[in-house]
Amino acid sequence: MMKYAFFPGCVLEGASQEAYTATTKVAQALGIELVEIPGWTCCGGSHLQDYDKTAALAVNARNIALAEKMGLPVLTVCNTCTLMLREAKHELDNGAKELVNPALQQAGLEYTGTSPVTHFLWMLIKDYGLDKLKKKVKRPLKGMKVAGYYGCHILRPPHIMGFEDHANPHSLEDLIRALGAEPVLFDARLKCCGFHSVFTSKEDTMKATGTINLSALEGGADCTVTPCPLCQMQLDMYQPEGKRAVNANDDIPALHLTQLIGLALGYTAEELGMKRHIVNTGILLAGR
Amino acid sequence: MRKITFKIQRFDGQESWIQEYTLDHQPGKTILWALIQIKETLDPSLNFTASCRHAICGACAVRVNGQATLACETPLDKMLKRWESDTLILEPLQNFKLIRDLVVDWEPKAERLAELKPWLMPKDEFNKESGCRQSPEDFKKINKNSDCILCGCCASECNKLSGNNSDFLEPFVFTKAQRFVADSRDKNPVERLSAAINHGAWKCQHCQECVTKCPKGLSPAEDISNLRQEAIAKGLVEHSGVRHAKAFLDDIQKTGRLNEGMMAVKTDGLVKSIGNIPFALRLMSKGKLNPAHMFPKPIKEVAEVRAIILAVKESEKARNIANAKRSEAHTNPDIQRPKEAAK
Repeated sequence: MMKYAFFPGCVLEGASQEAYTATTKVAQALGIELVEIPGWTCCGGSHLQDYDKTAALAVNARNIALAEKMGLPVLTVCNTCTLMLREAKHELDNGAKELVNPALQQAGLEYTGTSPVTHFLWMLIKDYGLDKLKKKVKRPLKGMKVAGYYGCHILRPPHIMGFEDHANPHSLEDLIRALGAEPVLFDARLKCCGFHSVFTSKEDTMKATGTINLSALEGGADCTVTPCPLCQMQLDMYQPEGKRAVNANDDIPALHLTQLIGLALGYTAEELGMKRHIVNTGILLAGR
Repeated sequence: MRKITFKIQRFDGQESWIQEYTLDHQPGKTILWALIQIKETLDPSLNFTASCRHAICGACAVRVNGQATLACETPLDKMLKRWESDTLILEPLQNFKLIRDLVVDWEPKAERLAELKPWLMPKDEFNKESGCRQSPEDFKKINKNSDCILCGCCASECNKLSGNNSDFLEPFVFTKAQRFVADSRDKNPVERLSAAINHGAWKCQHCQECVTKCPKGLSPAEDISNLRQEAIAKGLVEHSGVRHAKAFLDDIQKTGRLNEGMMAVKTDGLVKSIGNIPFALRLMSKGKLNPAHMFPKPIKEVAEVRAIILAVKESEKARNIANAKRSEAHTNPDIQRPKEAAK
């Protein structure tokens, strides 16, 4: 059985609890064991380093060291958590280990570099395999047009992420196809949703959000799907503001990656927490 | 013969159109080779800029299928393989004023660059006798960013700049600013930092496009992050960006996890957050904002987390002091190097 040290990240405990539910259910159906890292802390959300870079390194060194103690690879479900953990790992592997380890040792921990940090999407493709996933599909999402929205921090910067070509990625589209749905390549698929500047640059952020949703609609998509709960929040929770910012009229449901997989594996929308979305997902599921 | 089609965006000063050119494929060539080939053999009216052909002058940046890159160092075959197509779209950089075809106007950019004074303002202690020295450690801090060739790739793909350029500067401008803020010989870091903050340093969206597109391996986003940290260290803390970033550290030290529910209040203050009430109600109606989560319980290891942060910061401080001592030995004119003392 495949087994991972699960790093859920803060939003899965808060606004995106439905993503926690969906992740757990999908993992269960696929026979992947997720052991939540005991005592994990916030990764710093790509903001902590602007206030205190050393603190960001310290907490993520601890997060990874906890997984090492479990003897398991780290599995994340959030792009930004993935970036923060991988950035710390990159620094630790390039000299910062010596700085951090004396402090970790006081808590009975040590960073050695044995636990890789992966994302649920990457795990499915590289470790689990899409052919195997296809066999588990109980309800192919036939006829559903899905706009795969990557989000920045699963692609960029490539020297930290490096799973696939940042300019022309296809992991999401491959996955969408494996679930029986039709991927939609839309203009804004690699653009930024603006989440991280929602407080400091609200207007630009809403324009960014609105542009992505509108572009997916113009591409003929029924919904967007994203491997990042922060992007999902932005595309869903701020969709009304996004629409106003770009003078758009239509709504488009925004799904968590694990919700889309969950639907294909036979779970109901309710089981996957889709009633918690701001934009109604009912249209998407009518007749299914 | 394999044919390669280039769809190039043309602009004559008024009208814009896409023009197609087809070349016979030749292996081992670059995008710049294709541009030169088109101009020399098919259409002398095509305008583009290029000079050194060695990724040093920064003149030949263009967009290939929507991605800014230096034409001179981008292998044609790599692009054909990346896009799995024998047709490529070439466009001028985004976020620049267009002059003709692929030629963009750098003059307004130079003016924007000057906003952050990218030149050395030497400390008063330096003079022609003692010189303007710095230690190898201090030189290392500015060496990397001195590699910026002003090609504009970072600016072209910057999501914030595309949204609105009136309250933000090009990523390369922040990179240049950081180079001088980090320069041990410069006397005016606060002036620069304050200008950087006033020109939107806290508005970067963290999209990492600049880091991804830089042909010299620089990290403008990291430079912006360093400018933010330096600004805080120099007391420039009256900003929602500072409060937002600080909330992450406070929450981690308090409970280990982020308190999303209180984030708006911590960042914008209570009064401004009242404007967010309709949004909060929207979230509450779907159970996305749970008032019961406003005061989360700390993880049981929170004391350990605090101790680790503190201990790492202490050992970093010790390392920095050791480095500073070494640096002083190089810049203090009273401490002469043995070789020079013997002269």
